[in-house]
Amino acid sequence: MATLEMKQVNKVFGSGHTEIEALKPTDFSADKNKLIAVIGPSGSGKSTFLTIAGGLQTPTNGNVLINGTDITKLKEKQRSAIRLREIGFVLQASNLVPFLNVKQQLQLLDKVKKDNLPSEKLQELYQTLGMEKLLNSFPADLSGGERQRVAIAKALYTNPSIILADEPTASLDSDRAFEVMEMLKELTVNNNKTTIVVTHDTRLIDYCNKVYKITDGRLSLQTERTKS
Amino acid sequence: MFLAWNEIKNNKLRFILIIGVLTLVSYLVFFLSGLANGLENMNKAAVDKWASQGVILTKESDINLPQSSLKLGDYNGEGTDEYASLAQISSIATSGNNKSNVAIFGMNKNEFIMPNVTEGKEFDKTGEVIANDSLKNEGFELGDELSLSSTEEKLTIVGFTNNAKFSAAPVLYTGLDTVQKIRYGKAADNYHDQINAFIIRTADLSNVEVNENLQVVDTSTFIENLPGYSEQNLTLTMMIYFLFVISALVLAIFLYVLTIQKVSIFGVMKAQGISGKYLARSVIAQTFLLSIAGVIIGFILTIITGLFLPDAVPVDYNYLYLIIYGVVLIFVSILGALFSVQTIVKVDPLKAIGG
Repeated sequence: MATLEMKQVNKVFGSGHTEIEALKPTDFSADKNKLIAVIGPSGSGKSTFLTIAGGLQTPTNGNVLINGTDITKLKEKQRSAIRLREIGFVLQASNLVPFLNVKQQLQLLDKVKKDNLPSEKLQELYQTLGMEKLLNSFPADLSGGERQRVAIAKALYTNPSIILADEPTASLDSDRAFEVMEMLKELTVNNNKTTIVVTHDTRLIDYCNKVYKITDGRLSLQTERTKS
Repeated sequence: MFLAWNEIKNNKLRFILIIGVLTLVSYLVFFLSGLANGLENMNKAAVDKWASQGVILTKESDINLPQSSLKLGDYNGEGTDEYASLAQISSIATSGNNKSNVAIFGMNKNEFIMPNVTEGKEFDKTGEVIANDSLKNEGFELGDELSLSSTEEKLTIVGFTNNAKFSAAPVLYTGLDTVQKIRYGKAADNYHDQINAFIIRTADLSNVEVNENLQVVDTSTFIENLPGYSEQNLTLTMMIYFLFVISALVLAIFLYVLTIQKVSIFGVMKAQGISGKYLARSVIAQTFLLSIAGVIIGFILTIITGLFLPDAVPVDYNYLYLIIYGVVLIFVSILGALFSVQTIVKVDPLKAIGG
């Protein structure tokens, strides 16, 4: 069973002469241990694709299945619970709470979900992401790369099956961008996750198992590597 | 509570300002409450001292004690457990350089409205009085001879009692004959049975039977009709109620501004699956912490102020009222926070993450 599946999903905004089909009928499937990139220029429909996949908005037609559960017909409260349980978001801007230090960012998730990563796994995650010395720092004291590493840790801490990353390297220089992609790939494979990275940065596609291109709302498979 | 507390901890200055405003509002509420209570007691302490259920006055008096004129024989105690006769006049008492407005209560010393004596002795002879001990603060002493305005009669303080003020004036308790003498001078014997009211104790006022010229009013109605009493209380109560509204609005505005500043971060948290309910609870918890801190500091400041106030300031704190007002302040603050809760509920995670 695919971790994330989209069946004939489209999204139409407006009506009549203002109608725009931001995402054309799309079939998409993502499996475990795969890092998938969806690339395309600004306004191509990348964010619409990502937010529908993440249950942040509902498609006009079609179905979105997360681990077999069709989230299309669910209420916001139920989708919110699925997001918390199954999806980790890494967003382009800092998605950190400004008044919580790094450790507290993760503790916040303990307040709303109990079965997060156990302590030893969390220590491993800190180590992998090189975060041990950042735990007492506040977001304002971190560099762009450090903030993204914390965001990745936060996304993984709830042990979701899917990581959705929206331009995770947007604010980073090349070295940092490659570093973050390397980490995402490693964490995807080692932790049995499905990671979908939406980006316009074509330098990152070498890290991915599958690369989709989206143009004017139409999604098409561009590259597929059978081996990691 | 986790989010609420950590935000306060890491944005101290911002939240100290909010707590400061709440402290000032609660301080003002508590102080006004003490003032209202003090002024109330200044008007009615002597009436409370009777521990009575009702007062019999003439109908034409319009529940105004000095305007009620009746005779000792007008009521025989029908329907009451106990009753006492009361004659009342107001005057200005002078002793040496000391001068004070006074209310003079004339009574039979064997009846229940006779006050307790905290210093000195009960009155026995004509002209002897028991005075409220607040007169001591004005320089009056045991044994002082008092001259009264508009009469040649002299009074002597033979004892003191406590908590005895009527219409803001300290009370002088004396015999009925003394009051008649002050009122009528040499003609007092002709008016020896002239009084202003009967004070009654009974379980059921409806059982009290009086003649057609008299009326029975319950003690609280009698108090409410004391000149200026209701107007003064209503004014202060209105001020306190306005302060409740002000505190709710001030906190609502502060929290709303803070919430608007955090809309994007609330959106991101909602995108991550943190429910609006959790975030709303966090804002409520934060409001609770801020308001409870403001109320407690306001309460402490109120008590400290009370210790340094001169006796002339009629502030008398009723701690039960202070607790009730404190709880109301916390409650209205939380009501004010509901504006912010509404905003949080409406935050669209999609917009917050730029989708």
